[in-house]
Amino acid sequence: MNSLRAFKTLLRFSFLRLFWSVNTLMVLLPVVGCFLFILRRGFGKMTPPEKAFDAFSTFLVFVFSSFLIPICALGFGTTALGSEREDQTLVFLLTRPIPRWQILLAKILASLPLSCGIVLTSFAVYCVLVGSVGLKAFLIYWPAMLGMAVAYVSLFHLFAVIFRHPTMLALVYALFIELFVGNLPGSIKRLAINYYGRSLIYGLGAAEGLKTPRGFEGIPAAQAYWILAGISGGCLLAAFLLFQWKEYRDSP
Amino acid sequence: MIDLAPSSSNEFDLTFSGVTKFYGAVIGLNDLTCRIGPGITGLLGSNGAGKSTLLKLASGQLRPTQGEVRIGKLKTTSTSAKRLLGYCPDVPNLYEEMTGEEFVRTMCALHGFPDHEVRDRTQAVLQEVGMTDRAKRKIAGCSHGMRQRFKLAQALVHDPQVLLLDEPLTGIDPGGRQEINELLFRLAEKGKSILVSSHILHDIETLADQILVLGRSRLIASGSLAEIRRLLDDQPLLIEIIADDPRSLAAELMAFGQVLGCDIQENRLRVRTKNAPDFYARIQDLVVMGGQRVRQIQSLDEGAEAVFEYLQQGKHSS
Repeated sequence: MNSLRAFKTLLRFSFLRLFWSVNTLMVLLPVVGCFLFILRRGFGKMTPPEKAFDAFSTFLVFVFSSFLIPICALGFGTTALGSEREDQTLVFLLTRPIPRWQILLAKILASLPLSCGIVLTSFAVYCVLVGSVGLKAFLIYWPAMLGMAVAYVSLFHLFAVIFRHPTMLALVYALFIELFVGNLPGSIKRLAINYYGRSLIYGLGAAEGLKTPRGFEGIPAAQAYWILAGISGGCLLAAFLLFQWKEYRDSP
Repeated sequence: MIDLAPSSSNEFDLTFSGVTKFYGAVIGLNDLTCRIGPGITGLLGSNGAGKSTLLKLASGQLRPTQGEVRIGKLKTTSTSAKRLLGYCPDVPNLYEEMTGEEFVRTMCALHGFPDHEVRDRTQAVLQEVGMTDRAKRKIAGCSHGMRQRFKLAQALVHDPQVLLLDEPLTGIDPGGRQEINELLFRLAEKGKSILVSSHILHDIETLADQILVLGRSRLIASGSLAEIRRLLDDQPLLIEIIADDPRSLAAELMAFGQVLGCDIQENRLRVRTKNAPDFYARIQDLVVMGGQRVRQIQSLDEGAEAVFEYLQQGKHSS
């Protein structure tokens, strides 16, 4: 018996289970919706190019990073472990000779390429559709998109470790609490991942003439990167610690 | 310590030492000390008695609040102990999108066996649980009995020393029960320690050499089937009879010394007796010789709840 072989089996099993799930379809639907929106909006035809860059960046702030990235992250991040809990199949993994931290690691490693892959691929496709302005936006913004995707996936894994029905909670969190808290005045908006994502986009886009909207007080891009990395690391660390000690009594 | 192991000590005995488990303020298992060795041990208790808590502690899913659970020298929560354990949980869901064979093969591969061994073990265990011909069927389309067999297969596929089965006979037809019982007998003969839970006394009776009876999170009785039976035989048994003329039947039964009391409701007669075998013989005489028409006889006391009540009463009176 070989522990590494068992881990690889679990990783492969978790990845394929996520990939062939209905979640992939559910995530691809809004991705296709945004594709059609960009086609119709015609960012590439706008003149001057600064206006096109500005309009495309606004789309990235209010649609892509506020809606699509959280949906991709929860579609795979929450369900990697969450579906095992909701379906009461986690018991079959917990009674195998695989350390608990390896079970969670396999679930995270299975969901990250799917979430981040769909986020970056769809972003690249949208940028290609927009044209030269889009390509410029891709080179500037891809680290911000990746950072947000990783932060959301990490947070939603923590949700899955803590809550028995994490998907619904994550959906409510992503679509209501994040947007609501992220747009509140004062320092409370700093509790939302979305706030740091917007700070990054406005910060990175400033060099290309992107103006920060009135009322939004962002933080410098470098600081936003560090905070997103901190959120990701903190959520994952908390998830590992909790998963190591938590007793699951999800079965009836 | 209550010792249900046949020999004085075994390398893979399952040992509970002063185990108490709290769920917040609620107690799940209270001060259990026992040792379970090779052979089949039945775990009897009503719903909420603590059977599942005991099995989850034994399978390392839960940590005891006090005391410890070990297989040999290993704590059951350790990864090494899980190589020695096979656990068949009482959950209705499996990986529904898989076929039975894929499910068992994946569970086997998660033990880290090489591919060829995974393949061989999967085929062998599917044959053992009688599912070779239905192995390619999607689990989503399987009956409860078929799911039970696949669950049993995943618990056996790595050839564990200790097998924990939570209500494994639920939903399985009589023929299937016989096959599974025979499989468990064969495993017991090979020296495996098997702990089978049920809330039906009859399921355990036909299987187990030794029985643990749990009630209200405590171990209330343990020992061989004969010892448990002896405890039960001293207690009255409630039997319900549906008859055409329950009044005359009640009168005839009351003349029989072993009947403690009768209660009539329409055509139903409830009789409390302290000697069930003699009572059943008497009823047979009344039907065959006395011309009484009896439509149905059933014992109302075969469930674990009644057994628990009896044993509790026995404890209080002694």
